[in-house]
Amino acid sequence: MNLLGLGLPLGVGLAALGSGIGLGKAVGGAMEAMGRQPEAIPRIQTAMVIGAAFIEALTIYALLTVLLLQGKL
Amino acid sequence: MKRLAPLVSLVMVALLSLCLPGNNSMAQEHGTTGHTTTAGDAHATDAHATDAHREAKPDKVQEAFHTAENSSFVDLILKQMGYVKPHEGEEDHNDPTLKTLAMFQMPIISAVVIFLIMGVLVAGASKREMIPGRHQNLVELIIGGFDDFIQGILGLQGRHFLPFLGTLFLYIWISNLIGLVPFFKSPTSSFNTTVGLAICVFLYVHWTGIRRNGIGGYIYHLAGEPKDAIGWGMVPLLFPLHVIGELAKPMSLSLRLFGNIFGEETLIAVFVGLGIGAMAFLPMMPVGIPFQVPFMFLGLLTCTIQALVFTLLSTIYFALMLPHHDHEPGHAEGHAAAHH
Repeated sequence: MNLLGLGLPLGVGLAALGSGIGLGKAVGGAMEAMGRQPEAIPRIQTAMVIGAAFIEALTIYALLTVLLLQGKL
Repeated sequence: MKRLAPLVSLVMVALLSLCLPGNNSMAQEHGTTGHTTTAGDAHATDAHATDAHREAKPDKVQEAFHTAENSSFVDLILKQMGYVKPHEGEEDHNDPTLKTLAMFQMPIISAVVIFLIMGVLVAGASKREMIPGRHQNLVELIIGGFDDFIQGILGLQGRHFLPFLGTLFLYIWISNLIGLVPFFKSPTSSFNTTVGLAICVFLYVHWTGIRRNGIGGYIYHLAGEPKDAIGWGMVPLLFPLHVIGELAKPMSLSLRLFGNIFGEETLIAVFVGLGIGAMAFLPMMPVGIPFQVPFMFLGLLTCTIQALVFTLLSTIYFALMLPHHDHEPGHAEGHAAAHH
């Protein structure tokens, strides 16, 4: 029994927390902009999806460490 | 010649993923995925095979492992998906054909994906009529939609990159989706495939950069395009930074796709195991509650978005690398507005 079993899920949780805050701000801002300018929706949406992909990649990296280190639990 | 371009790109991608046979080593090296969940419930019938080689009672467990009717269904699924490393003792009993098949699992599924796409596209494009039939309509819808999408970002010269980017999107999309078909595994859930794709993008982007900007312009671009004395003073600092940034792009591109698809498939496998674990009171019955179905719908969404994100980011890397006067904001905006 080692500390990995505690640390890995905790790490993913922290990463998800950060990503969640970031995604919330990004999507919230995009929604606001879309509501204000409906004619610009396609371009805002494209930019939003790219940003969201960058943000969620951080959680995915944390998840990857769990998947890769799972054998050592 | 123009019609051959997507085929050439596909073959290139196929060759890259075929060059790397030991494909699922990543998943196999790191042991079982369903291990923790199945071990959670104490039903020996289901749990024993999955965490067989982790418990310190080898003789009894190995015996159970070798008799085919005793190995659990979860274990078979996980082994099918490449999550469980076959036991050392077991490998000797394996059929050599099966072993080879398992070793070349990823290239074979890759080939299936490629021939599927090729078949649909070639059949749709071979008999062209003025009033398109169903099949031709589908192909025109896919290609026309993607043409608009790329030209919205890259402007008029987007059409030059359409064959590469469109092929990339179709290959990744179908590869992601084929993981949801029973007995298939997404080629993109292997790190080697995604790295191959990212290297393709990286090489093509930089080749385009050198060809369009010239060697000098390419290095000037990497130096951050300094305009004044302060800009030139910052070059020794910015140049390595930009080079590292360029090298980080394929890494993040491949890791993102791999992580998402591998994570999604692992999630589905874990919930298949949970569903079977919940029904484990039935003796030796390969029956389970289909807990994984909602996650498969989620998977449909993830597959499409990740394929789109990979292609979108590749397109943006091209846009960043191309000389600036070709994609002024006004120009690109006009296109985006015209097409959407």
